[in-house]
Amino acid sequence: MSERYSFSLTTFSPSGKLVQIEYALAAVAAGAPSVGIKATNGVVLATEKKQKSVLYDDSSIHKIELITKNIGMVYSGMGPDYRVLVKNARKLAQQYFLQYQEQIPTSQLVQRVANVMQEFTQSGGVRPFGVSLLMAGWDEDEERPYLYQCDPSGAYFAWKATAMGKNFVNGKTFLEKRYSDNLELEDAVHTAILTLKESFEGQMTEDNIEIGICNQDGFKRLSTAEVKDYLASVQ
Amino acid sequence: MSIMSYNGAAIMAMKGKECVAIAADRRFGIQAQTINTQFDKIFEMGPKLYVGLPGLATDVQTVAQRLKFRLNLYELKENRNIKPKTFLSMVSNLLYSRRFGPYFVEPVIAGLDPKTSEPFIASLDLIGCPMITEDFVVSGTCSEQMYGMCETLYKPDQEPDDLFETISQCLLNAVDRDAVSGWGGVVYIIEKDKVTKRILKGRMD
Amino acid sequence: MAAVEGPMPGFSFENCIRNRHLEKIGHKAPTAYKTGTTIAGIIYKDGVVLGADTRATEDTVVADKNCSKIHYLADNMYCCGAGTAADTEMTTQMISSQLELHKLNTGRKPRVATANRLLKQMLFRYQGHISAALVLGGVDVTGPHLYSIHPHGSTDKLPYVTMGSGSLAAMATFEDRFKPNMEKDEAMKLVRDAIAAGIFNDLGSGSNVDICVITKDKVEYLRPFDEANIKGKREGNYGYKRGSTAVVSTEVKKIPFEVVATQVVSGTEAMDTA
Repeated sequence: MSERYSFSLTTFSPSGKLVQIEYALAAVAAGAPSVGIKATNGVVLATEKKQKSVLYDDSSIHKIELITKNIGMVYSGMGPDYRVLVKNARKLAQQYFLQYQEQIPTSQLVQRVANVMQEFTQSGGVRPFGVSLLMAGWDEDEERPYLYQCDPSGAYFAWKATAMGKNFVNGKTFLEKRYSDNLELEDAVHTAILTLKESFEGQMTEDNIEIGICNQDGFKRLSTAEVKDYLASVQ
Repeated sequence: MSIMSYNGAAIMAMKGKECVAIAADRRFGIQAQTINTQFDKIFEMGPKLYVGLPGLATDVQTVAQRLKFRLNLYELKENRNIKPKTFLSMVSNLLYSRRFGPYFVEPVIAGLDPKTSEPFIASLDLIGCPMITEDFVVSGTCSEQMYGMCETLYKPDQEPDDLFETISQCLLNAVDRDAVSGWGGVVYIIEKDKVTKRILKGRMD
Repeated sequence: MAAVEGPMPGFSFENCIRNRHLEKIGHKAPTAYKTGTTIAGIIYKDGVVLGADTRATEDTVVADKNCSKIHYLADNMYCCGAGTAADTEMTTQMISSQLELHKLNTGRKPRVATANRLLKQMLFRYQGHISAALVLGGVDVTGPHLYSIHPHGSTDKLPYVTMGSGSLAAMATFEDRFKPNMEKDEAMKLVRDAIAAGIFNDLGSGSNVDICVITKDKVEYLRPFDEANIKGKREGNYGYKRGSTAVVSTEVKKIPFEVVATQVVSGTEAMDTA
């Protein structure tokens, strides 16, 4: 009997795999790289934002998004799928706030977003999300930063530092060598840029990468001018 | 007659120096007929968090159980003790979701923050409007008498033992002028390292 | 599945039939907290001034002597609420949440007109059963705006508005002294006097005056702005001595220290369970 089944996309193959999830992971691994590093006093997210043509107006499209005051997100994989998750995550954060009048803890948001992603591996008429997420948050209660990764299967992990997308293996090896437990946020930003640089083709400029930082003041995406300053100090 | 005085109840909470107190009467009756004089109206919601529920007894128990359900789920999900203020929002949400068919309870919350041990007291109306105060809150069938007692006896920053005398006398003297509450009282003094529960002797008429 | 009851969206009507029955056999439902209230707002030269008293009542009893009636909607917008206290509180919280989402999804500062629409559409949907009477004020890219919103969903956009049971007293003050393009101090004084008129002449309003001044890039939330009624000092000491109260039994429950962190130290490599 052949391996070709025409059941729903969310049905196991005879070998016990959900091939759609593996295809989704392949989409992630082919996507633009993104990096996350947790420092002692914050987290940094960085990603490559290369456009195929110089004609693109890249000033109004962003890959790093604010979810709530103290949590931000970035992805590797399919952009359109990411937008759905961003909207969902924002709504989940607001629901939590309405219920408890308290900012959602990063771990809670990650868990709830992961639930959404899991649901899309088990429902009819849908396919898994073609993205892996990196979520950076500051926990107001514990006064410490968090960095999480969330995969298409709905699995999630807490990291000290990680890389996703194209060349993520090289990125991770680089981070393993560079990471130390007493890294400060400023240094983490430099390390993140260097990690992206490892596999970057062509000239890295403030227009083709994006950086977001999260500390006790909240999450923010750096302006192109700020990114430019960081790039200058790295070179 | 108001449905709030069908069973009768008097509950109050007070802030002291690094401590809070919550007190309630012990009567459960059906209108003028007393059924039970050891009735619980204050419920433990955490090691340092208590909620008092005056009102219609059936709703008192239903609301207490629903709150405990939501609270347990919260603490399991988040793996931490709830903050009194967060618990207030939880109660508020439960009651407001029944805005057009309310539970007949007007809760009183007293507790210390699980981390900082900051004192916290609050009360809500039956549809969940939260009210946080810095001195005392009262709720129940003799709220006017309780307000009077508290306004005269309350002093800020009392030691636990003094706070106990103040809240006890406020409660006992207030319920003496209320027919449907009284029959003894119970006081919880909540401190950083211990909770003291005292059963008060009161008039049994 | 009753067992997995989470907070459901929307209102629950499960107690309505019972409550109607209780009402029919003569048990009156208790009254909710009301904010009898004087709330007011004016537009001045550089922005908006909102004002409110701080009394909450339960029938004729003063339930809260210092409640906050100027609610946060967004960084550039605040909203005073009169009517049933729970309704004003929850309505403003809900709209604030929607505005925050709107801000994140559009990447723009929300406009006052947007908040006004969200509020009036929600109140209209509930046909006046949500008794929230609001004064909405804020500053956006198009300038300062002030709205009054009635419980049924009708709204007015005016340079000076008042709401609540003390609105007549406050409006009398405005009608007498309002003029366009006032200076900030003058505007704040006028709003204070309008609220004070409510505090002293309307029984549903009392205690202090709260004021919120919103300009293009700043919000000043002054609470209390003015204590119209300062409580006298207590001369005597009415405290009870320790041991005055007769105690039947005492039970002490020790609270164990919370475990902050656990660390397992072991010599061998951790088992790989993956």
